[in-house]
Amino acid sequence: MLAVNHANKLFGAPADTAAKPSPELEKLGGAALAEAKKQGATYCDIRINRYRQQFSGYRLAPQRDSNKTDEVPFITDQQSFGFGVRVIANGQWGFAASPLVTPEEIARITREAVVVAKANSALQASPVELAPTKAYTDRWTSPFEKDPFGVQVDEKLELMHNATAIIKKDPKVFAAFGFLAIRGEDKYLATSDGSSIQQYVVQVFPALQATAVDFQKNISRTRSYSIPPVSEGWEAIARANLSENAPRISAEVLEHLAAPPVTPGKKDLVLLPTHLWLTIHESLGHSTELDRALGYEANFAGTSFMTTEKMGSYQVGSQLINVFGDRTNAGGLASVKYDDDGVLTTKFPIIEKGIFKHYQTIRDQAHLIGETESRGCCYADSWASVPFQRMPNVWLAPGPRDVTPDDLIAGIDDGVLIDGDGSFSIDQQRYNFQFGGDVFYEIKGGKKRGMISRVAYQAKTTDFWHSCDGIAGASYWQQFGSFFDGKGEPEQINAVSHGCSPARFRQVNVLLTD
Amino acid sequence: MLSQTDAKNLIDKVISYSKLPQCEADVNWTEDAFIRFANNGITTSGYRITQQVSISSVTDDKREGNAVVTELSDEALKRGVEQAEALARISKPNPEDMPALGPQKYLVLANFDPFTGSARGDVMIPHVKAVIESARENKLTAAGYIQRSANAVAVGNRAGLFGYHTYTDSSLTNTMRNAGGSSSGWASQTSVSLKDVNGETAGRISTEKCLRGAGTQKKLAPGKYTVILEPAAVSDIVGYLGSNFGARDAEQGQSFLSKQGGGTHLGEKMFPEHITLRSDPLDTRLATAPWGPSLLPNQRMAWIEKGVVKNFYYDRFWASKAGKDPTPSPGNLVLDGQDNTLDDLIRSTDRGLLITRFWYIRVLQPQTLQVTGLTRDGVFLVEKGKVTDPVNNFRWNESPVRVLQNTTKLTQPLRSQGAEAGSSIVPAIIATDFNLASVSDAV
Repeated sequence: MLAVNHANKLFGAPADTAAKPSPELEKLGGAALAEAKKQGATYCDIRINRYRQQFSGYRLAPQRDSNKTDEVPFITDQQSFGFGVRVIANGQWGFAASPLVTPEEIARITREAVVVAKANSALQASPVELAPTKAYTDRWTSPFEKDPFGVQVDEKLELMHNATAIIKKDPKVFAAFGFLAIRGEDKYLATSDGSSIQQYVVQVFPALQATAVDFQKNISRTRSYSIPPVSEGWEAIARANLSENAPRISAEVLEHLAAPPVTPGKKDLVLLPTHLWLTIHESLGHSTELDRALGYEANFAGTSFMTTEKMGSYQVGSQLINVFGDRTNAGGLASVKYDDDGVLTTKFPIIEKGIFKHYQTIRDQAHLIGETESRGCCYADSWASVPFQRMPNVWLAPGPRDVTPDDLIAGIDDGVLIDGDGSFSIDQQRYNFQFGGDVFYEIKGGKKRGMISRVAYQAKTTDFWHSCDGIAGASYWQQFGSFFDGKGEPEQINAVSHGCSPARFRQVNVLLTD
Repeated sequence: MLSQTDAKNLIDKVISYSKLPQCEADVNWTEDAFIRFANNGITTSGYRITQQVSISSVTDDKREGNAVVTELSDEALKRGVEQAEALARISKPNPEDMPALGPQKYLVLANFDPFTGSARGDVMIPHVKAVIESARENKLTAAGYIQRSANAVAVGNRAGLFGYHTYTDSSLTNTMRNAGGSSSGWASQTSVSLKDVNGETAGRISTEKCLRGAGTQKKLAPGKYTVILEPAAVSDIVGYLGSNFGARDAEQGQSFLSKQGGGTHLGEKMFPEHITLRSDPLDTRLATAPWGPSLLPNQRMAWIEKGVVKNFYYDRFWASKAGKDPTPSPGNLVLDGQDNTLDDLIRSTDRGLLITRFWYIRVLQPQTLQVTGLTRDGVFLVEKGKVTDPVNNFRWNESPVRVLQNTTKLTQPLRSQGAEAGSSIVPAIIATDFNLASVSDAV
């Protein structure tokens, strides 16, 4: 019988399907709300959160000066539990957090948050104004069929061992690496606007990678199996068919190692969803964050070329481009029922027929662009982090039903097809980006040919999206994403998904990397 | 603050709960306070305490498990130990596991400043105010971030190893933008003592950069340029290079130190005589801990000495196979300089670009260490020894290896921090043939 910690007592088992938040959590939340009122705060919210992450996997690599392989397993289970209190006092935000979840500490930390707010109010640009939201009492769990934390660790290790061993079976493959990441986020939010919300989110992320080395040429290449991280349970890992895909990864890394370098120049590109998700994220996701456009991120993540006067009229890309912000779509890493402001999440258009329509917003920003409600994009990555505007799932709508990836390729005389993500870099206003990929295939005379190597493409965001002249249909739409999108000071991460179908871009600047 | 006695008790408790032959506990405790500002006003700020204990257990036959907990009650620690041990029992033997390290002699490093450790809004707000006043006086918009942290780290294991260390750290960064959004200036200060942070100075530097950048901008084409990199930019270059001295990667064809046909560049003169890159835990300007992930004591170590690749770091497993003494990975990085000032570097440049800092650096090819990144917050043309016009930003594709190979002159080093690779002690440098690959319209 395992010892039970405080977090487990409060949050219970994932299978607990009660419709209301735990009374004990509500009582603790009430301690913050009451103390904030006593201290003269005009608003208060408290998040009592527990995060659990489990990583397991294998690294198979050769021993020193030998062809023998060391098979190195790893397994870690990490838990983080605490609370953060946010208040508005004298018109200014204050925040404080502690890992000691007791009524006394909650009252003390709430007083600290009020001290912070009052001290800072001397230097406020303008008083904080919150867009209205309804009060909710609710409990919600992200959909999953099988709790991934409930699957035995030896089963997980065996799965990863089998897949990595298959990759490494060919002695020409230098190393194999695979891991399973499983994440659970228990969140309780109480606000002085009357909301009491308990949510539980489960996410899984499997990964497989092969490495090949040519010592004579002093080059090394990798090939990954692109598996989307998703808000789902063990069923998503089972569906990934890791061992079934391992032989392909093994063969493709050797093909990559032998692949000739690209001839640089202006070329047409077909980008698969395994790759295009990241281009969407960097160029359209980040540029339409309102906090960037308003200058709140000027000192770190940057501002945006998508300035406020462009909202509603600016042509970002071709008429084929329809992009949505969405925290409701199935499997999306940013999907929750309520955001960290207590706002019911939604789906909203960001770009319609190439025209920039809406920013991603939260409660304290909406009025700054003349809007009357938040679009539900508030998130903090920890109980110890200040909630702020983070990216929802941002996805590109598919093209006409009858368009296939082969149709896109058939329309290209000289081009490159890119599968999987690689290096990524974009400037602080989201104009100039440069992306690599996982593997690259030459397109010649309307046909996909063999693999090529050392490819990166560089473009200006608007030129790139204007050059899009083909998007495959809905049956090719797939969602990929990242657990690790960074923003803010102190820096926070955010998990976010981006769906799309394969798409074609004309005359993009293709580079040969070293 | 978690005291040494409390830390020792915590670790002893964890070890007493363990039933497996090896048990290690790593404790991290932090109290920090921060203020973020933008549009000439404070936006978000906070005060918080965070803590965690990482518990690692190993069986007789080298099965390993790890659990991390943030609750420190007896029940929670017990559960953490049980979890780590359950994972270890269920795992498979790790052929690269090494026996636990016994007691170590860790350096006693004086990088805790009590003033910094207790500073709150009353200490930090005047610095924010000074930056914002500089912005208002010059019709600019300021954004920035000031923070300080007090930290305690401790480690112990069943084999008798114990270490405890406290340190503080602080920083102030700020960005000034002009009304039309055509210019941006940036300044940064970072120190283990908040007494070294000065909002007036940081505000003045970023203001000057922004005002200078607001002049008529010269549009320059991509190409290879002689560049004068300010310390914040050099810090990122050195940070990307410094994490690549691992022996295993070098010997197994995975790094810039791997040789064509096999072997490594260890002992070769890959860089000019005036390049010395080293780690120095005794340089208390940096908040370095006495030990790193391997638990080996951090020590003074040259990675590049007078241009020669002097050392690799060998983890304990690889060292045992290579017949070498194990060495810690770089706990910090110091690039030695020369007796020049930034003005000397500018004066000695006939035509080049003065670059404030870099942004969004990512590796393109690990073997050549070719990386891509962008310039940001101030690029200026230097002509005949003088700073002349502001210049557009660029994307660059370049290897930190080549940058140091092409470095011709350096200033005295100081503690600095860029955007991507942490903080280090670095000079400003002149480097020739820096590949500015495309123009960035960003400001």
